[in-house]
Amino acid sequence: MKAFGEIWRSNLFQKWLMAITGLLLVLFLLGHLSGNLLVFLGPAHLNEYAHGLRTMGHGAVLWGARLGLLAFFILHVSSAITLSRRNRQARPQKYVKVEARSSTLASRTMLYSGLLLISYVLYHLAHFTWGAVHSQHYAQVSYILPSGEVVPDVYTMVVKSFSEPLIVILYLLSMVMVGLHLNHAISSAFQTMGVTNRRIMPLVRVGGPALSVIIALGFSAVPLAIILGFVKI
Amino acid sequence: MNLRLHIWRQAGPNDMGMLKTYDIANVSEHMSFLEMLDVLNEGLIAKGEIPVAFDHDCREGICGTCGMVINGRPHGPVARTTACQLHMRTFKDGDEIYIEPWRAKAFPVLRDLVVDRGSFDRIIQKGGYVSVNTGNAQDGNATPISKPDADRAMDAAACIGCGACVAACPNSSAMLFTAAKVGHLASLPQGQAERSSRAMEMVLQMDAEGFGSCTNHYECEAACPKGISAEFIAQMNRDFVTSALGGKA
Ligand code: HEM
Ligand code: SF4
Ligand code: FES
Repeated sequence: MKAFGEIWRSNLFQKWLMAITGLLLVLFLLGHLSGNLLVFLGPAHLNEYAHGLRTMGHGAVLWGARLGLLAFFILHVSSAITLSRRNRQARPQKYVKVEARSSTLASRTMLYSGLLLISYVLYHLAHFTWGAVHSQHYAQVSYILPSGEVVPDVYTMVVKSFSEPLIVILYLLSMVMVGLHLNHAISSAFQTMGVTNRRIMPLVRVGGPALSVIIALGFSAVPLAIILGFVKI
Repeated sequence: MNLRLHIWRQAGPNDMGMLKTYDIANVSEHMSFLEMLDVLNEGLIAKGEIPVAFDHDCREGICGTCGMVINGRPHGPVARTTACQLHMRTFKDGDEIYIEPWRAKAFPVLRDLVVDRGSFDRIIQKGGYVSVNTGNAQDGNATPISKPDADRAMDAAACIGCGACVAACPNSSAMLFTAAKVGHLASLPQGQAERSSRAMEMVLQMDAEGFGSCTNHYECEAACPKGISAEFIAQMNRDFVTSALGGKA
C-alpha cells in the first residue's frame, strides 16, 4: 500500500478530485437552473421557492449547501491550478509548429474559462446574494404569498435587474463562458472517472457538449425573456 | 520533387538547439520519409557536414524506434502511420517541412531528433511481473481466454512504445502509453493478481518522470500509429482509483 499523501498528490488523484467536484457543481447548476425557470410561472412560484430555500430546516439546509458548494469549488479550483501548472512544466521547450487534430477551443481554454467563471460567480453573488452591486434593484419590495406570508420579492428584483441592457449583456457573456467550460468538462469528467468504454464513449463525447448547450441556453433564457419583454412585473 | 526542410539541430543534451533550413532536390515520391533524410545526410556527409541524427530500426512500422514531429504532427500527416512508413508521395513539389524532436521534459533531447525515452522503460519496470507458474511450458489453451478478452488484450498490446502520444499531448502526458500497458495485462487472467498494484505503481512513476496529466483532448489517440483507444485510459483511471481506495480491481 502506498501512503495516502503520495496518492493524494498524484496527478491522477487530483484529476479525479477535479472531475468529481466538477460534476457535483454541474448537478448544482442543473438544480439552480430548474429553480430559475420558475420565473416563467410567475411571481408566486418563484418567490415561494426562494422563500422555501431560505427557510428549509430553519436555514440549516441553505447553509449546508453553501458550505458544500464552497468546498467543492475550492477543491476544483485548487486541483485545476495544480494540474495546469504541472502540465505546463511537462513541456519546457515548445514546438515551432503544432497541428491539433482532436482538441477543441473549449478543451484548450479550460483554465481561462474557469478563471473567468470565478469572477462571474463573485459578481453574481454580489448582485443577487449580497446586494453589493446594482443595489437599486435589491429585494426591498415585499411580496405576499397565497398563504398570506410576507416574503422578499425575488421576482421583481430579477425582472428589474434584467431590464437593464448592460446587466443582461454581462450575464449572457458569462453564460457563453459557462457553456465553453462545460462543453469540454462534462464528457471529460466521465472519461476521467472511467465510466466510458468503447460503446458509450461516442455517446458521452456528444452528450456532454449537448448538455452544456442546454445549460447555457437555459440560464440565458431568463434574462433574454425579460429584456425582450416576454416576462414582466 | 524539391523540398525545403526546417530541421531541429542540437549537438548534445545541454547545447542550445535551433531550426536549420536545408534544400533538397530530386526527392522521389517512392521514398519513405526516413530514406529522404538518408539522402539528405549523404549530401551533408559529402560536404563534410555533420549528418542529422534520428532514431530508426525496423523501418516497417513495428518496432517503435522512429519518431519525429513532422509539420506539427507526430509521425507526420497520415493517420496510423509511423514516420518510417510515411511516404514522400504525401508531399508535393515545393513543400516546406518542419521536423522537430518529441518535446517533453521526460524525453530529453540527446541530439537533433533523437530523444531519451528511458522514462518509458522505467514505467514498464514499475509494472513488475505477472504471477505465473514456472517449470514446463503450459499446454496450449490450458487457460481459456474469451475471444473479446483476447482481442482487447491484443488491441492494447499493439502499442509499440514510440512516444507519439506524449509528443502529441499538449500536456506531454504519457497516459495512452501507460494505459495500453496496464490495459494489456488487465485484460488477461494472468494479469489479475497484481492488477491494482500495477496500475498504481505505473501511474505514480509517470508523475516521477515529469509527464503531465491527461485533460482528455484525445490528441494521443489521433496521433497513435497503432490506433490505441483512449478507452484504455478510462480503464486505467478505474483501476487506479480502486487501488487508491484499497480495493482490488
Ligand atoms: C460553475 C463552476 C464550474 C463547474 C460546474 C465546473 C465543471 C468542471 C468539470 C465537470 C470539469 C471536468 C473534470 C475532468 O476533466 O475530469 C472541469 C474541468 C476543469 N475546470 Fe471546472 N468547473 C467550474 C469552475 C471552474 C473554475 C472556477 C475553474 C478555475 C480555475 C475551473 C477550471 C477547470 C480546469 C482547469 C479543468 C480541467 C480541464 C481539463 O482537464 O481539460 N473550473 N470543470
Ligand atoms: S500508445 Fe500509440 S503513440 Fe503511444 S507509445 Fe504506444 S504506439 Fe506510440
Ligand atoms: S523504424 Fe521501427 S517503427 Fe519506424
